[in-house]
Amino acid sequence: MIIVGDKMTENKQKTEQALENKCPSCTASMKFKPKLGKFKCDYCGSEFTLEELKKYNDNAATDEKNKKKENQKVVDKYDGYISYKCESCGAEIVADEATAATFCVYCGNTAILQSKLSGEFTPSRIIPFKKEKDMAVDAFKGLSKGRPLMPKDFNNEKNIEKIKGVYIPFWLYDVKVSGDVNMNGTIVTHWSSGDTRYTKTDTYKVVRGGDMEYHSIPVDGSTHFDNDIMNTLEPFNYEDLIPYNHAYLSGFYAEKYDEEGDSVLKEVSERAINSTKTYLQNDAKQYTTKVISSNTLSAEEIDKEYVMLPVWMVNIKYNNKMHIFAMNGQTGEFIGNIPIDKKKAVLYTILIFVISAIILSVLSYLIYKGGV
Amino acid sequence: MKKKLLLLILPILFLFNTTPVLAEQPTLCDRAEMENYGVNKKWEITNSNINNVKITPCVDASEKIYDFQNVLTEEEKEQLKSMIEDYIDKTQMDLVIVIDRIPYSMDETNEVFAADFYDYNDFGIDFENYSGTLLLRNTYEQDPYYDIYTFGEAQLYYDYDRLQIILDGIYDDLHQGNYLTGFTEFIDYLDDYYDSGYGLNNYSIDENGFLVKNYQYPAFIIFGLSLLITIVTMSVLVKKNKMVMKATQAEEYLDQKSIHITNRQDQFLTTHTSSYTVSSSSGGSGGHHSSSGSSGGGHSSGGGRHG
Repeated sequence: MIIVGDKMTENKQKTEQALENKCPSCTASMKFKPKLGKFKCDYCGSEFTLEELKKYNDNAATDEKNKKKENQKVVDKYDGYISYKCESCGAEIVADEATAATFCVYCGNTAILQSKLSGEFTPSRIIPFKKEKDMAVDAFKGLSKGRPLMPKDFNNEKNIEKIKGVYIPFWLYDVKVSGDVNMNGTIVTHWSSGDTRYTKTDTYKVVRGGDMEYHSIPVDGSTHFDNDIMNTLEPFNYEDLIPYNHAYLSGFYAEKYDEEGDSVLKEVSERAINSTKTYLQNDAKQYTTKVISSNTLSAEEIDKEYVMLPVWMVNIKYNNKMHIFAMNGQTGEFIGNIPIDKKKAVLYTILIFVISAIILSVLSYLIYKGGV
Repeated sequence: MKKKLLLLILPILFLFNTTPVLAEQPTLCDRAEMENYGVNKKWEITNSNINNVKITPCVDASEKIYDFQNVLTEEEKEQLKSMIEDYIDKTQMDLVIVIDRIPYSMDETNEVFAADFYDYNDFGIDFENYSGTLLLRNTYEQDPYYDIYTFGEAQLYYDYDRLQIILDGIYDDLHQGNYLTGFTEFIDYLDDYYDSGYGLNNYSIDENGFLVKNYQYPAFIIFGLSLLITIVTMSVLVKKNKMVMKATQAEEYLDQKSIHITNRQDQFLTTHTSSYTVSSSSGGSGGHHSSSGSSGGGHSSGGGRHG
């Protein structure tokens, strides 16, 4: 999608600012360094904690306000795309509606689009990145280990360059599940008397019911990311959740949520209900078999929280199909579906078949020799 | 009138009575005087079998028919011997007929005698694995008995089933003492079965004369197992490339303290008992091939017939 300047429409005009973190020492742009847990200026080498930076920003706030009034950036909204002006070099940054933090293509500066994460879109807490890009790169390079069916060059350097750190909007849901599970249970006993073996099957109608709560089931709030991929990245360690501050977004991409309410709750409820079913089924321990015939389980929302969770993402195009890989930016778990090289698959199938046939043939002959 | 008739019959009776000429007994040698007790085969003579060797009659292996009980006339013997020689020429396997009176209480006694008789004399020595067949007729009055014993390759030609047919086929003649007919039939049977080839396929004879099952390539089993291994391995390899999975459960987010089970009902509906009987079969193997001789060599036998 190309944004043409002529097509700016007056009705959709809106004022916006693209935030950036400036170094209190040299005013160069600063990024959050996951390993340090601090902000570091790449130019003068100064390091600052969030608190120190806050102090500096508060002092500079008044000046900034005056400045911004003069330099209000014009934002053009067109077909879901919005353009911003870079604070650093003044170039236009084009981003889609959900983008909350991005980079200026000209100067590489982080642009935090503050309005996207203000008001109801302000996350309450955030887990800052703990894993560096290097780790994601290493994990991606290491994909070929133990995966002989991976196409050659799939994880080459060229593709690794596309790795980017993204703060994904997540909803953490607290739900309460209540109701009954109806099961058909059987107790099977075996015994023998003389040459006769007996099997006794007692059938029961089994009901287990009650209620239980689930806390902080995560579900991603962005339509841009595949829910299954985000599910597979779980679990995140919530102990690292800290109050949200825009400053953490520097150096990374970020999205705001565009999915909420019933559709998100439905997914969470399904998982909670499934686990409740399993729990109640396991409660009927004495039965040999138990098959659920019906249930009256329902889930209700107790609470929800909007948070930002760190994920390293890489999109790879292979055979005209996009493959998304992701690494949990906190735990380092790396996941994704690797395509299968068909030629290799055929080769391996033949190879495994032939090798096992040879081994089995030798084995059968040795057994024959040993047995006689 | 009566006297005339008597005078006429008496000379006729006399004539008939004088015809049987006593047949020659088999020539016996003395093992004690011979080198290695007259055993020219590879069997080792040890403390455990020396007595068996000593009591086994030492005979001239070329006679083929050893009638210690004089049930055959010299003429009959010659007739049979010529048939046996033809058989040996054709099959390159030995053929021995032994008629003796051996008191016994167990069938095995016959088998030990027959196997030792064959093994410690030079029967089959010219043929591979000492191949040959021995028919033993035990004329023990209390329980007459006969059986066929096969050695070396003869075990492959005359398998258990064929021996049953032969034993049954000659029963009437042996039981009634029609030995010439019985033995002739016996030789004919052997000759016919030799023409139809091995009765026991997939077996061979080892160096000690025992039957060994040949190696048969289990093609179907190997194909099936290889296919299974391939499918399992390929599934594992493919699964390694599929790391993304839909989350369907949320048990790690369950607050254990919040669980309240408020409803537990266990209502008995029906009961059903089924039973089956396990047959405790003995699984006897039927004495098809054995080594009850003392030489340590292998042979097979038909199981024998009493009568």
